[in-house]
Amino acid sequence: MTIERTWPIDMNAGPIFVQIANHVRQMLARGEIVPGDKLPSARDLAAGLGVNPNTVVHAFAQLERTSVIETRRGLGTFVRGDAPVAAMRRDMLRTAAAAFAVEAAALGVSTPEALAALKEALNAG
Amino acid sequence: MLASLNRATKQYGRTEGVRDLTVEFPPGEVVGVLGLNGSGKSTVLKLLAGLLFPTSGDVAVFDGPARAQRGRVVYLGETDALWSWMTPDDAATFMAGLYDDFDVKRYRELLASLAVPRRRTKAMSKGERGRLRLAMALARDAKLYLLDEPLGGIDLLSREKILQSIVREWHTDETILLSTHEVAEAEGLFERVIYLREGRIALDATAETLREHGKSVVQTYREVLG
Repeated sequence: MTIERTWPIDMNAGPIFVQIANHVRQMLARGEIVPGDKLPSARDLAAGLGVNPNTVVHAFAQLERTSVIETRRGLGTFVRGDAPVAAMRRDMLRTAAAAFAVEAAALGVSTPEALAALKEALNAG
Repeated sequence: MLASLNRATKQYGRTEGVRDLTVEFPPGEVVGVLGLNGSGKSTVLKLLAGLLFPTSGDVAVFDGPARAQRGRVVYLGETDALWSWMTPDDAATFMAGLYDDFDVKRYRELLASLAVPRRRTKAMSKGERGRLRLAMALARDAKLYLLDEPLGGIDLLSREKILQSIVREWHTDETILLSTHEVAEAEGLFERVIYLREGRIALDATAETLREHGKSVVQTYREVLG
């Protein structure tokens, strides 16, 4: 798992711990990490991102509470074998769809028009 | 409380460094001390370091007057007072002679991670000297670290290395007060931020709480001090 400064931490986009937790979920949903993978230590991740180690601990605690990761004593932190990857993928797709819908509405386009544009974009991608 | 100021005022002649300041620091916090030039940042750190004595009020560290705790507090001042003939090895001898809590092994690790060259300080760049001074400070094993502008006037890569070393070396029971003008770069490190204006606290807040309300530490700086 890479912990370069490519992780998008935006100081104007809400608490950092939420952003870190969301980024781990996103990596899972995209298949960039898979169940069973080991996460970097909180301190390594904190140093890589230039944030306070407590902030990463907070993010990990949230991921642990929501059954995404688990801490194995003396071994480190791992993505749980039963991490709800499918649900996360569905949630993220819905979030992206909602953002698209908001933009389409702001542009005042009809649903068929919006769907046509979406289809076109999907085919192009 | 690990350290506190209780109605502390420090006057320099007619000008006031800090005015009737009350603030407490529990163990285990990384605190950003922010403010414009002359807002009292350095005065706060020097009072806690026992290098200044309050004109009125109290400054306590480890439940005693700050003056009596000087040997147990790490203070990294703004001015670079390294002797030009000193190498990092000389600095180790110097620090170990001065402070019982100076950990030579930790110092060596810090020199490596901060990429400090082994030459005399007069042949070092400002960034290299800044990194050396930080290694000297962080190699001490203390509960209170007062770092006054450790990022001031040095290059971007040195600043990144310094911030990373602070993240790596900080133990959860230690408190670090860090004053800086490089707010954007350092803000991720702070759990708590204290904004000073004319020697008083303009705002004392948790960084994540500010961000919860959609405002970065930098944005808040503009609003509170601008």
